Amino acid sequence: MKKNWYFNLRTLLFSFLLFISSWVSSCSSSYSATTMHTNNWAVLVCTSRFWFNYRHMANTLSLYRTVKRLGIPDERIILMLADDMACNARNKYPAQVFNNENHRLNLYGDNVEASSVDYRGYEVTVENFFRVLTGRHENAVPRSKRLLSDEGSHILLYMTGHGGDEFLKFQDSEELQSHDLADAVKQMKEKRRWDDAHDHHVLGFMNWFKELLIMVDTCQAATLFSQLHSPGVLAIGSSMKGENSYSHHLDSDVGVSVVDRFTFYTLAFFERLNIYDNASLISLFASYNPNLLMSTAYYRTDLYQRQLDKVSVTNFFGSVMETIHTDTAYKASSSMKSLDSEMDSIIDETASMDERRSLISTNIEDQIDNSNMAQNCPFHKKMSEFYDKIKEIRDVDTLVNYGLVLTLPVLAVSTLLSR
Amino acid sequence: MLLPRQTRLVLFLLSNLFFIPITFSLVEEQEQFTEELLLKPLPDRKVLSHFHFQSRAPPTASYGHHHRLFPKAIYQLVHKYRIREMELSFTQGRWNYERWGGFDPISSNNAKPPGVELWAVFDVPEHQVDAYWKNLTHTLSGLFCASINFLESSTTYAAPEWGFQPFTGSLRYGTLPREAVCTENLTPWLKLLPCRDKAGLSALLDRPSIYKGFYHSQQLHLISAEFKSGELDSGIILEQTLTVVLQPGAKRTGLAYFQPSWSMSSIFGRQITGKCVLAKSSNVFLQIDRDAVSELKDMWKEMSVNSDKMSKSLWSNPYFELSRAPDRIKEASSINSDSASILYEFFIQKCSKSESFDLGLTWKSSFVWSCPKAPLHATRFLMGSGNERGSIAISLRTTELNRRLMDADISEETCKLRVDIFQMVPWYVKVYYHTLLVFVDEKPQALTDVIERMHVSPSEDKVSPGLMELALKLPCGLNSAALTVEFSKGFLHIDEYPPDANQGFDIPSAVISFPRFNTRLHFPKDDSERSPVLSYTEVLLVPLTTPDFSMPYNVITITCTVFALYFGSLLNVLRRRVGEEERILKEKAANKKTGWISILLSKLFAKLRGRPSESPKSPASSSSLVSLKLLLKVVLVASVAVGWQIEFLELCGFERIDGEKFLDLPIEKVDMAALVSAGSEL
Repeated sequence: MKKNWYFNLRTLLFSFLLFISSWVSSCSSSYSATTMHTNNWAVLVCTSRFWFNYRHMANTLSLYRTVKRLGIPDERIILMLADDMACNARNKYPAQVFNNENHRLNLYGDNVEASSVDYRGYEVTVENFFRVLTGRHENAVPRSKRLLSDEGSHILLYMTGHGGDEFLKFQDSEELQSHDLADAVKQMKEKRRWDDAHDHHVLGFMNWFKELLIMVDTCQAATLFSQLHSPGVLAIGSSMKGENSYSHHLDSDVGVSVVDRFTFYTLAFFERLNIYDNASLISLFASYNPNLLMSTAYYRTDLYQRQLDKVSVTNFFGSVMETIHTDTAYKASSSMKSLDSEMDSIIDETASMDERRSLISTNIEDQIDNSNMAQNCPFHKKMSEFYDKIKEIRDVDTLVNYGLVLTLPVLAVSTLLSR
Repeated sequence: MLLPRQTRLVLFLLSNLFFIPITFSLVEEQEQFTEELLLKPLPDRKVLSHFHFQSRAPPTASYGHHHRLFPKAIYQLVHKYRIREMELSFTQGRWNYERWGGFDPISSNNAKPPGVELWAVFDVPEHQVDAYWKNLTHTLSGLFCASINFLESSTTYAAPEWGFQPFTGSLRYGTLPREAVCTENLTPWLKLLPCRDKAGLSALLDRPSIYKGFYHSQQLHLISAEFKSGELDSGIILEQTLTVVLQPGAKRTGLAYFQPSWSMSSIFGRQITGKCVLAKSSNVFLQIDRDAVSELKDMWKEMSVNSDKMSKSLWSNPYFELSRAPDRIKEASSINSDSASILYEFFIQKCSKSESFDLGLTWKSSFVWSCPKAPLHATRFLMGSGNERGSIAISLRTTELNRRLMDADISEETCKLRVDIFQMVPWYVKVYYHTLLVFVDEKPQALTDVIERMHVSPSEDKVSPGLMELALKLPCGLNSAALTVEFSKGFLHIDEYPPDANQGFDIPSAVISFPRFNTRLHFPKDDSERSPVLSYTEVLLVPLTTPDFSMPYNVITITCTVFALYFGSLLNVLRRRVGEEERILKEKAANKKTGWISILLSKLFAKLRGRPSESPKSPASSSSLVSLKLLLKVVLVASVAVGWQIEFLELCGFERIDGEKFLDLPIEKVDMAALVSAGSEL
């Protein structure tokens, strides 16, 4: 019985392997585009150490307050602060951080349930930043320090500090380069999630984000995302190449500048909004006045598929998702049934009765997630079916071997043709 | 019948406030939460407030896994990491042992070194302890928003044998002296309380006023008997304490040396509006120190106050007045003293919703007293100069308490004062333990005379810190004692320096304990555990030689300059053809002067010089001579270059040909633009 099952599987794999290359290329783009936006994450990074960089921490905390106010919960915000300003000995107002000289709003107050700082002090390094983005942590690292986003996540990545042409300084000692950032984002997009239990077995291809908004407030911020080339990424920087980003104003009580211009006007835009507002991203981007900023806010949209005037800011800065109205409750179950019948016909040809049950059960879960995806791509169903087979195989080695054998004739043919 | 029971309960609560109860005679099958606040005026016009919250979970075996009050996170922590005992403290500021006391339970248990201190005892086999410790640090860092995970590295923690706590083998100890402590650490700590900071005593905790204080230490102490076999199972006890030293608002009340009057609302900016309804008891205590009381009593004697007025005059007298009448007044006798400190007790239960509880203390006349001090006052400092070596010195000075104690039994020859010293030093401060010197009353002593017991584990570079545990037996009548030990400073790798390396590196506090002395307020019929007198020394700041962090940049810059010079000149030599240029010039000249006279003249000059006339077509001989010279130059430069950095050329795309005799750059690999630009620079 087992042998028979195995043989069937082999033939199945063989046939699928022949077609997979063409399918993957045709379907992968629609795969990500059709995943639903299911959750929001925010990674807020202040990269500057030392008291005179107070404003960078105030920037980050202001953004923290904003996204929290607009609905991203604390456990989905990764906050990285490179130094302690609130309880710094130089702070005249202990346990308080202000972003305006009117001192009306304490960013560190307990009314915001006191910031959950996930990485602080010496922990804020380029290495840890990449570990957060790419999810390569030690086993012991607690969940609160991990970015546990999935393929339906919208991520806001906000960074502030001192930067230059294609780099951003961390802790005044090391640099994050634009290539590194692009590389990390690319890895996020193409990340394969390794399951700890089955080490080195690919369990599924996961986009770690659906859409990513990178917002950078440094000097020459636009250079930092010049190397990005992953789809679904939208980036905005406070200044163009060769331009400086300036602080907004000095608080003579605190003794240092308390906020940067770009962030100040970003906040000014958001203060007028609440969670139900439908302001679009383009209205945010258009609100930056170069004369007030004393630099040109530059945004890059060529990697982003959707129209900016159709995208609400709360898609990134809040946790507002598109709701789909269904006429009846539990519509998913009816679609499940139809999928079942479709699948039966396919499986009958290849699989024996025994494995069918397990196949269906695993497939259903996938299909619920991607139910509208199936219509867009005709081959997708077969793809995912193939997928599950791979999942079930205990030794992937044989699969790899078959793949290798298969490439040999292809290689021979191609060399023949090229002569 | 009712009264004695109540008294016992009160005493029990009092003992909870001050001592860590390790064993309980009666096992209660109920979860319990109690909250207490102790206020104490300090001699230097400050006020100590000490919050104490205790949660107790009954043993899992009889009660199960689900709890009503006990925080789940802590319960899971205890079970996952099999913790027998653990203490985590976040401290900012330094406890002033001279002014705020060093011989009371609070200074022994709640005065902590600045930054984070963590120690834990695990109930696992010894080879697994390190792994459990590492996982615990990560979990705690996630739980308390701090970088406690830096204690994971083996260079930051140690396993004291006996100098710190009497748990051999399974104890791990680590500190982070520079860890910032702020609101983000307090909030998760408060979340462990059943009422958070919404009700009860914790509602007083207004962040800005707490962090404005001179000293604040937030602690979490955990004792679990879950894994002890054969002993009485008392479940898990979680004690959370917050010790704050605050300066009451400087209200000018006449004379400047008056103690400032204060109330809860003036020091915290808030009031207690009621007890946390989940708490079994919710009490506020006000303590007046022993010295102050004895002074008061002297004055009473002078004024001959009769005993029935005494109770009233204890809280309202010509010297100070409390804003509320206490529910109970307790005199607690203390060690070696005829007088006792007074404890005023207030029950929050009685406080109704409408009327908030605001305890105040008003001083009516000037009043001076001092706090009880530890037998010896310890300070630690660095000696020596220069950036290479130095020495650490711990100096112990006698205090008046010791003098008073020792006067009593100075006659005995065998009187010895036992002092335990525990010191952990990071590996980059390389301590030479053989240079240890002990001075008693400024006279050097033989080590065998004064050291009773000693355990030293030297540091290992980049692996483990150095650890020194000493048990000294000092003569009773001493005035001062000092220990010195020399060290030299190590070097770190350039990547290991923190971003603010120029600030220097910290040596964690040493722990000085006096095991023969116990702090405990003596309440009648109270048999709680005694805790030894403990004090922490200062954190030392050692400046290490820091490298020039811009050096890699400088090296890159100068190397690039040298290479640009080399390649520029090489290209110049290779590409400029001197002979050809001469020929072209001549041709031009010849083309211009086509007249026969010039040709004739040139032939004539040639004859005169005795050389055959040079036809324009044959400049080969001279050019070959020139090119030979050039070739020699090229070979010279090339050989120098090859000898210098042959590898670099290979990296640049040069290839070895002809059996590795030559380096060749394929023409298609030559970046002409770069070469031309380099040439044009010259």
